[in-house]
Amino acid sequence: MEKGDRAMAANITDIAFQSTQIHGMNVHILPTGKFKTTTIMTMIEQALSEETVTKTALLAMVMKRASARFPETKLLRAHLDFLYGAIFDVDVTKKGERQILQIYMEVPNEKYLSKEDSLLEQAIQFVGDMLTRPHVENGAFLEKYVAQEKETLRKRVESLIDDKMKYANQRITEEMCKGEPFSLLIQGRVKDLPAITGQELYTYFKQITTTNPINMFVVGDVAPKEVEQAIQKHIPLERSQVGALEISQAAVKVADEREVIDRLDVNQAKLNIGCRTHITYIDEDYPALLLYNGVLGGFPHSKLFVNVREKESLAYYAVSRLESHKGIMMIMSGIDVNKYQRAVEIIKQQMDSMRQGKISEEEMSQTRATLSNQFRELLDSARGMIEFTYNGLVSGRKRRLDELLKGIETTTIEDIKKVAEKVEIDTIYLLRDKKGEA
Amino acid sequence: MQTTKFEQVNETVYNETLPNGLQVYLVPKQGFSKTYAVFTTRYGSIDSHFRTRNGEEINVPDGIAHFLEHKMFEKKDRDVMHEFSKNGASCNAFTSFNRTAYLFSCTDKLDDNLNLLLDYVQEPYFTDASVEKEKGIIGQEITMYDDNPDWKVYMNLLKAMYKDYPINIEIAGTIETISHITKEYLYQCYETFYHPANMLLLVVGSFEPEAIMKLIRDNQSSKEFSPAPQITRLFPTEQPEPAQAKIEASLAVGLPKCMIGIKEREQGLTKEALLKRDLTTKLLLDIAFGTSSAVYERLYDSELITESFDFDYSSEQDYAYTIMGGDTPDPEKLVQTIQAEIEQLKQKGIDQDDFERAKRKKIGNFLRSLNSVEFIANQFTSFKFNGNDLFTVVPTLESITREDVEKRLHEHFVDGQMAVSIVRSASPQE
Repeated sequence: MEKGDRAMAANITDIAFQSTQIHGMNVHILPTGKFKTTTIMTMIEQALSEETVTKTALLAMVMKRASARFPETKLLRAHLDFLYGAIFDVDVTKKGERQILQIYMEVPNEKYLSKEDSLLEQAIQFVGDMLTRPHVENGAFLEKYVAQEKETLRKRVESLIDDKMKYANQRITEEMCKGEPFSLLIQGRVKDLPAITGQELYTYFKQITTTNPINMFVVGDVAPKEVEQAIQKHIPLERSQVGALEISQAAVKVADEREVIDRLDVNQAKLNIGCRTHITYIDEDYPALLLYNGVLGGFPHSKLFVNVREKESLAYYAVSRLESHKGIMMIMSGIDVNKYQRAVEIIKQQMDSMRQGKISEEEMSQTRATLSNQFRELLDSARGMIEFTYNGLVSGRKRRLDELLKGIETTTIEDIKKVAEKVEIDTIYLLRDKKGEA
Repeated sequence: MQTTKFEQVNETVYNETLPNGLQVYLVPKQGFSKTYAVFTTRYGSIDSHFRTRNGEEINVPDGIAHFLEHKMFEKKDRDVMHEFSKNGASCNAFTSFNRTAYLFSCTDKLDDNLNLLLDYVQEPYFTDASVEKEKGIIGQEITMYDDNPDWKVYMNLLKAMYKDYPINIEIAGTIETISHITKEYLYQCYETFYHPANMLLLVVGSFEPEAIMKLIRDNQSSKEFSPAPQITRLFPTEQPEPAQAKIEASLAVGLPKCMIGIKEREQGLTKEALLKRDLTTKLLLDIAFGTSSAVYERLYDSELITESFDFDYSSEQDYAYTIMGGDTPDPEKLVQTIQAEIEQLKQKGIDQDDFERAKRKKIGNFLRSLNSVEFIANQFTSFKFNGNDLFTVVPTLESITREDVEKRLHEHFVDGQMAVSIVRSASPQE
């Protein structure tokens, strides 16, 4: 118990990973006694593109089926259970025009268990299996797993329609960002699947584990030296020159506001308004963008919630969300289709108020307080702290948490007005029922 | 103030029952930045038939507990959500079958936020106009759920399993039932179910327990409450068998969704017996259908299930059931295969290695959950309402034997207790 108690005594006020390089990977370790588990997260960064999006998504699914040590999925999963229900997953996420393949592993800290196994080292060994010792035959991933995971991926893409909010979000992104990599669904394209072979996928795996940027994070009640030694021993990646990726950053100007209407068998209509803010994570006015979004639609005290829901009772939800790496703000609401025009009108009025700087001191103090609270809450989640740090690394603009909190405190209404002047509506999207007039 | 230490998980719980009957529990978490508080009443969507304070028997419209939860946020001269926002807290509330919970999380101004939580939940303010306005908002919430195939397949399964017991009713009601809600009904429900003696306050996170307990004591002693009413809930007697074997609905989906339910015959378990049955059944399900089971492998390899396949066991004193399923290209075949697999497992029995593996997994998963103050707060309250302690999960799991699970296998999976719910697209290609 001693080790943990000492770590607990030092209350963390900022997110301070200790960073080092091992086998060409950037390794970041955060010792803390507040969690009962150890989290190990590995991110492989790839440029989002039509050529590789489906391969990366499929690779994530095939990787987690087997390794050389556990050539059958059932054995692999039984081993995870044996490690006290270790959580293990490989998936892909989007950060702006980047696709991130992430390997997630979480094991209990052995000090809470009556049996004294070294779970930390076994967990690192398991991650090493994924990165350096995959199950391969004749230079190819097993065709059986590749075929099955193609099918699973296809079903996952086709089931997007089950969640109407997500579906509407993807549809407007496709329309709004046509021609930009960002429009791609992160799970890839069904049409690419048939042509991908186990051999090609393995070659791709070798390529991205050799040359793409890799960041590995470890959070828990751990001794950094032990972690480093275990990584040294169990993850012997042979890395060659790691080059910076070519990430498209074309500034897109909005020509005309567009309207797109889709029809589906639904009861409630989904209204999405996609906006280009022309500000991203790396910009100096990013904290002001956070405030802008917060005042407009980030919280239950925000203009959208108050006006669309509380005053007009048009909707159960009316929110705005930022994609900080791409600089897109998405306004989302679920409405009665007959209230479409009215809802759009009220939302535009709120955006006009923002441009005119009609923001009360109360709105400012509420938004500052709730935003700061949101960021401080990250400190209680291993994943939250990893995400925050990774956002800084991947974008190339590292911000300390206290720096961001200070930015939130010092942003003025005038700063928000300047942000509001940059924000442009790009596309208005409506997902509606099949009845009624077109 | 009582102190209970749970050495194995390194957690300490402080508790006290106040003179007005309110039960208070505090779980300090060292090193954490945030605090999460949840104020819960034993009152949910199933409590729609009861006796009021003066003994009169009434039926209230379906969905009223959830409606009441929405309306608690509105006050004569202020808006509760805005007050929390000023303190940087994020607040929320939810209604389930048997409870309504009001909560917030914050990293600052805990004292103010706690007083605010206690005060707004203990100060009802309903008007005809605000009740009418809410019908529009909740109407959109109901419509949103109507379009959610996962919710639909789940609610329909409950309808198939339960004939009379009110967990077969939508928590939010329907647009028709909520149209009958009035402020008078809301006050009646409030007066019956929101007395402190029917409620529990839990605070978990970063704070000093003595000081917080004093704040809560002071807040409560400054208010006057009438004596606690005797709550008489009136429930119909539910038949042991499911209401119907199969229920279908159509919505726009990629693949059909299929959920299988197993209705527990035995009712009335409480406390340790309820917890032990709950955990034993969960172990059984993991051994039978978990991602490392032979059955899961066969189902996945034959493409009858996708990664969405999941299962769970829910149990309360008056009802308990297993649900399992997910997306499948062929619901009928999935049901047949699972039935056959259950029969085979009953022949074969529970393997000792599988049992040990499942137990380790459950213990590890539970420890992981304790990283989350939200998990602790919400689970702790449910456990208390059933007379149990959340932190006794590990020792209870350790006490379960392979024989217990095998016994459960034959007790739980008995013929005639299964119901099936399916949702498919009306036209094959949407």
